[in-house]
Amino acid sequence: MKNKKAKRVITDYIDYKDGKKLQKFISDQGKIIPRRITGLSAKQHRELVRAIKRARQVAILPFVSEAVK
Amino acid sequence: MATKHYESVVIINAALEDPQIEQTIATILDHIKLSGGEISETEKWGRKRLAYPIDKAKSGYYLINRFVGPTSMIIEFERSLKLEENVIRYLTIALDKKDLEHLEKIKQSKTEEPVLEKETVPEKATNDESKD
Repeated sequence: MKNKKAKRVITDYIDYKDGKKLQKFISDQGKIIPRRITGLSAKQHRELVRAIKRARQVAILPFVSEAVK
Repeated sequence: MATKHYESVVIINAALEDPQIEQTIATILDHIKLSGGEISETEKWGRKRLAYPIDKAKSGYYLINRFVGPTSMIIEFERSLKLEENVIRYLTIALDKKDLEHLEKIKQSKTEEPVLEKETVPEKATNDESKD
């Protein structure tokens, strides 16, 4: 079995204002990619989810991406 | 009264003219000061495309403030934003230890940037060579 997607690594602080970095962790539909695919630690994933949800509130990330609408 | 560090992101209607935007920014800053907050930093991102339309607007003017203030001021501050017609979205967040450490690191790296770059670049190069 080959991994379909390469593991993504974040080294330090996860900022909800950094749309470009967070973009790597959402699918093309705009969903958050599960931890089993990204390979993040549980702690990091929790922080990431929080950051993505905050980014969505201030329209930095979409709730549903344009392609799906 | 307990004080906390806060960060607020405010999105202002980008269809307004520049002087009007400046005016609303000034009133927002006044609101923070009046309700007892002490502003430590303001960032203006300017006009940005929104990820989804808000009130049919496709772009907005982003304003980010960091301030210290009593916990009770937030209700007052958010109420004033709600009443402000030119503000289309806002988000206020309490900063914890981790966030503050990160912000300080950024500040330090900004001041010491030229020194740090010189140090890190040669290190990376030597690592690559040893792998080959």
